[in-house]
Amino acid sequence: MPPLYALSFTAASAYPEFQQFVEKNSHRTVNCAMCHINENGPVGNGEGQIGSFSADEMKQLNKARAALLPGQDVDSPILNQFGNEIIKAIGKKEFVALKAEPAKLAERLGDKSDLDGDGISDAREYLDGTDPLNQFHGDPGKLFWINLGRYKMHVCLAVVAVFAINYGLIQLIKGVTIVQSGKN
Amino acid sequence: MISVSTALSAISQFIGERFPVDKLNYHSMVEKKEVPVHKMSWGYYTGGLTMFFFMIQVITGLFLLFYYQPTVSDANVSVEYINKYVAGGALIRNMHAWSSSCMIFFAMVHLLTAFAMKSFVKPREITWIAGVLLLFITFTFGFTGYLLPWNQIAVNATKVGLQSVEYVGQYLPGQLSEVPKILRETFQGESSVGQSTLGRFYALHVVILPLALAGLLGLHLLSVQLHGMSQGVDQPAKKSEKFMSIFIFKDLTLWATVFLVLFVLAACIPFDSFLPFPLLAPFNALGSTPAGIKPEWYFYFVYYPLELLPFWVILIASMVCVSILIFAPWIFKGTSRRTLSFITILVSIYLVVMTLFGEKIYEFFKH
Repeated sequence: MPPLYALSFTAASAYPEFQQFVEKNSHRTVNCAMCHINENGPVGNGEGQIGSFSADEMKQLNKARAALLPGQDVDSPILNQFGNEIIKAIGKKEFVALKAEPAKLAERLGDKSDLDGDGISDAREYLDGTDPLNQFHGDPGKLFWINLGRYKMHVCLAVVAVFAINYGLIQLIKGVTIVQSGKN
Repeated sequence: MISVSTALSAISQFIGERFPVDKLNYHSMVEKKEVPVHKMSWGYYTGGLTMFFFMIQVITGLFLLFYYQPTVSDANVSVEYINKYVAGGALIRNMHAWSSSCMIFFAMVHLLTAFAMKSFVKPREITWIAGVLLLFITFTFGFTGYLLPWNQIAVNATKVGLQSVEYVGQYLPGQLSEVPKILRETFQGESSVGQSTLGRFYALHVVILPLALAGLLGLHLLSVQLHGMSQGVDQPAKKSEKFMSIFIFKDLTLWATVFLVLFVLAACIPFDSFLPFPLLAPFNALGSTPAGIKPEWYFYFVYYPLELLPFWVILIASMVCVSILIFAPWIFKGTSRRTLSFITILVSIYLVVMTLFGEKIYEFFKH
């Protein structure tokens, strides 16, 4: 059996199946930043890449890589909040197995988690190819209906305010016109 | 040969007819003004809507100025700060983005309807030319504003745009061939798109262009008020309504309705959500250019043909189109409104098809 580090390192840089699936499914361009800290993935010397890690961070990484089963508290320095949430929810073992069926990842994640709080679940954002960690990014149609429900009171108040101002302006112009014609 | 005095007298007569001093009073420009009522009357509202969106741009832009930092290190962070931490910041920024698109959309619709209604004939030539220049300024607003968030798509699209300016030099003769390069260097300010470019685009976007637009808009509106609304249709309209106050009231009610639509759109759909998220990441000078870099939707009508056809074809076509637009009052002086409407429909179909299906057409021909 190869050492865990070697196994994980190969795996960490070799999961293009998920990205390919998302791009095909959503017709949107995505990159590694959907799950990783670095947009170019975990390999390299940049921020969130293995080459730049201290000994403590390597320890943290290896601990995360050992989280083969779901339910473990994961805080991998190569993964962002969504990436860590995936491993926490389904475990590393199942995640690697889902390489063959990337669509099932959404099913396994379920609709409960919504890390950015935009109203669209992380699993749905994964399928849509939108950023699960940015509340201002999501499928425009879905965001419209969700936010319309959220801000219905604001919209109602805006309708009242705008038409009140409009009514006031029209009355003001009418008044000025009457005064003007009276002078003439 | 025309003497200087004859030329001066002709110029003076031309200006006198376009800006009649005897009509420069409130009574002629407002009280007496009538707006024809006919099947194309809706076209009279498009100019006002464009101006309304410009006013929203100014107001929301002023709010954004309080927090935006025009430096390469802070620009993207300040935009994120506005979105996440400033009360109402995301709404204001979204209104600015949505309203810019609406302003450009209505400016184009206004130009097309004015063309179809033959609103450019004597004595409205200056109104028309000022309008065409206003449209170009509006496009430049879009181009300069695109860079300000300093994200991947902003910087890379600006690079492509500025490179296109320099390419023009290849097709110009002699000393003229240096002009596009000088222009690019002037606006870019350094060897690549960087701090100097951001500073210059910022100055253009928040000071120079608004001043130019305000000046031209003043001229445009003065001219519109002096000459009144154009007839618009071949048969003189049987009905008309008072500009003050019937038309103004309708205009205000339309503005109120449009504002609400804009408010709902800005509150519910973040403008950025139409773009792939990797393009919204802060610009990384050391990173590779991400896929999918393209300009805003209102440049698709020129961008996709530019991707498909040789540069010189687009250059010549653009120069011809711009010349036709500017000299339309003289080129189409004797053309019937029926023909102008037909041309407008063809141009509109082209614009809609390239905007909605440009990418598909590009993929079809490229693969």
